[in-house]
Amino acid sequence: MSATLDQTADAAAPHVELRRVTKRYGSVTAISDLSLKVDKGSFTALLGPSGCGKSTLLRMIAGLEAITAGQCFIDGLDVTETPPAKRRIAMVFQSYALYPHMTVRQNIAFSLSVAGESKKVQNERALEVARVLQLESYLDRRPAELSGGQRQRVAIGRALVRKPEAFLFDEPLSNLDAKLRVQMRFELAKLHADLGTTMIYVTHDQTEAMTLADKIVVLEGGVISQVGSPLELYNRPANKFVAAFIGSPSMNFFGVDVAGVNGRTASVVLPGGRKAEAPLKTGASGLRSAELGVRPEDLLFVDPGDAAAAFGGSVRIVEHLGNSTLVYVDTPAGQLIVEGEGDLKVEPGEAVGLRLNEAHAHLFGADGATL
Amino acid sequence: MSASVQRLEIAASPAAARLAKLNRLDAVGLLITLVTLAGAIIWAFPLYWGVVTTFKHEYEIVRPGFQLWPEHFTFENYVHVLLQTKIGYWYINSLITSVAVTILVVMMAASAGYAISQLNFPGRRLFWWMILGSFMVPIPALIVTHFIVISQLGLINTLAGVVGPQLIAPVTVIIYKQFFDSVPKDFREAAVMDGANDFQLLFRIYLPMNWGVTTALAIITFIGAWNLFLWPFLAVSSEDKMNITVGITQVHDNFGVSYGRDLAVAMLAALPVALVYLIFQRRVTQAIMLSAGIKG
Repeated sequence: MSATLDQTADAAAPHVELRRVTKRYGSVTAISDLSLKVDKGSFTALLGPSGCGKSTLLRMIAGLEAITAGQCFIDGLDVTETPPAKRRIAMVFQSYALYPHMTVRQNIAFSLSVAGESKKVQNERALEVARVLQLESYLDRRPAELSGGQRQRVAIGRALVRKPEAFLFDEPLSNLDAKLRVQMRFELAKLHADLGTTMIYVTHDQTEAMTLADKIVVLEGGVISQVGSPLELYNRPANKFVAAFIGSPSMNFFGVDVAGVNGRTASVVLPGGRKAEAPLKTGASGLRSAELGVRPEDLLFVDPGDAAAAFGGSVRIVEHLGNSTLVYVDTPAGQLIVEGEGDLKVEPGEAVGLRLNEAHAHLFGADGATL
Repeated sequence: MSASVQRLEIAASPAAARLAKLNRLDAVGLLITLVTLAGAIIWAFPLYWGVVTTFKHEYEIVRPGFQLWPEHFTFENYVHVLLQTKIGYWYINSLITSVAVTILVVMMAASAGYAISQLNFPGRRLFWWMILGSFMVPIPALIVTHFIVISQLGLINTLAGVVGPQLIAPVTVIIYKQFFDSVPKDFREAAVMDGANDFQLLFRIYLPMNWGVTTALAIITFIGAWNLFLWPFLAVSSEDKMNITVGITQVHDNFGVSYGRDLAVAMLAALPVALVYLIFQRRVTQAIMLSAGIKG
């Protein structure tokens, strides 16, 4: 895909802003007093589990959902009461929402057609967009005659033809198979790099969010859990929810007793009695117990009798993924997932020792916040 | 020797049982076929009798006895009807009123169905219940009211007067509403994002996406309007303004009713409907299923 459409990016100014927005459906609060700034030209992912309010948030930005309280700004203009078509934004739906009775050309040019543009302009613009998305040879086909990936491109084309200020994507890749999803992910990233237009992308797939976005907003129960770059969320999660949600396989958690705090380090007693040092991000005086989080790649196999082993355990299940191996180990701390090399030789039932990469461990308080 | 016979008997018995079962099934099948055939003959015989009668002389028709085929084959009844009556007017009137009713019913019902299905406005629920309520009132029960209203509007003896009361089509509204309800909301939202207004949404998205329903409803509305007798009979007294169904009543001579000629007009009246049915058979079946509440 090569961009021929004019889009400029002013990376400094907030482009889309939500100020203290709330959305209620009767007695149910879907979004609660949420504020968010999306920079111009950025690729921002709204990430969270089903029902966390991410699609509602996107639809409020689009104008498809009325805001119960608060304001929405686009390019500094209050658009809270502005109809969707006048917000100069375009949206790509999860279902693509391609009109089945129209050809690809008519689908792409629909917005121009309803705006009363001449047939000539419609055709020119549709062709221009089709070139960007490599859809020229499909212009006279109907959506039913296209593959999933091609339909996805048409949906993007329909958004692109309007030359919007910002693109909104509502889980656009969730209907595609795994291989096509990876390909479309790459094409979306390339499109963003080419156009430099602000993109807001809703997904529940943390891999999509991590690979595409330069900023991820993690939502939980209608409130923002953490905002940050993909690596920031991965390496410095603000709470246990973010730590658990980001990363695949998920982080291991187990309870520990805190023996003492020394500046930015806590000395903890692991289940089974061994001791470990865990870094502290905040002060935590008077702490007695906490939850320790360790990513699967930060657990290393050692001999069961090794003095450096934090736990002894028994291998339950081994999953060979080719480039890595996931091993489920029963330990005094419960079942832990360990990620090893692809050629790791370990058998179910085998006794193993696990060493902790203490520098990368995370401590969480009783309220789930990172300590 | 006896052991091998026994084995053969054992092997033969399931086959014999299967054969007996098949014979039983064949007998049942034959009985069902005969009953169905009898039903078809009972249904088709009046039609056959009507067609055959149009090719008989009047004296043959009124003669006592049962005659399955004309003694003297004649086109006299058709010649008389085509040359001596105003059947040309009646055909044109039927065509104008039926096409007008079809177009107006489809447009109005689609718009009403869209509004009730997709728009939020005060009284929407009330409108919906009113439409459902009107569906439960038989049209003949309103015929006097219709006559008074059309008469006060000065539309008696006009084609507009014939068309007017036929525009009450709650079933069509209900069917459209149900179909528009089932269109995924993403289509609407995508079009709204693209700047489409409600007219564009209805005529460029919702109606084309339900084109099959529209054609089915249009065909069945056309057939209903073409076949309608009671209201056009009451609304029109001038022979020039009559529909073909009402025109049948005008075919008589000084000696009273002429059965052959009456049936000839009836056959000519039924011809377009029969053609429409034959051409659009599948759509008509779909429309009947829709009206009965079975989604096609």
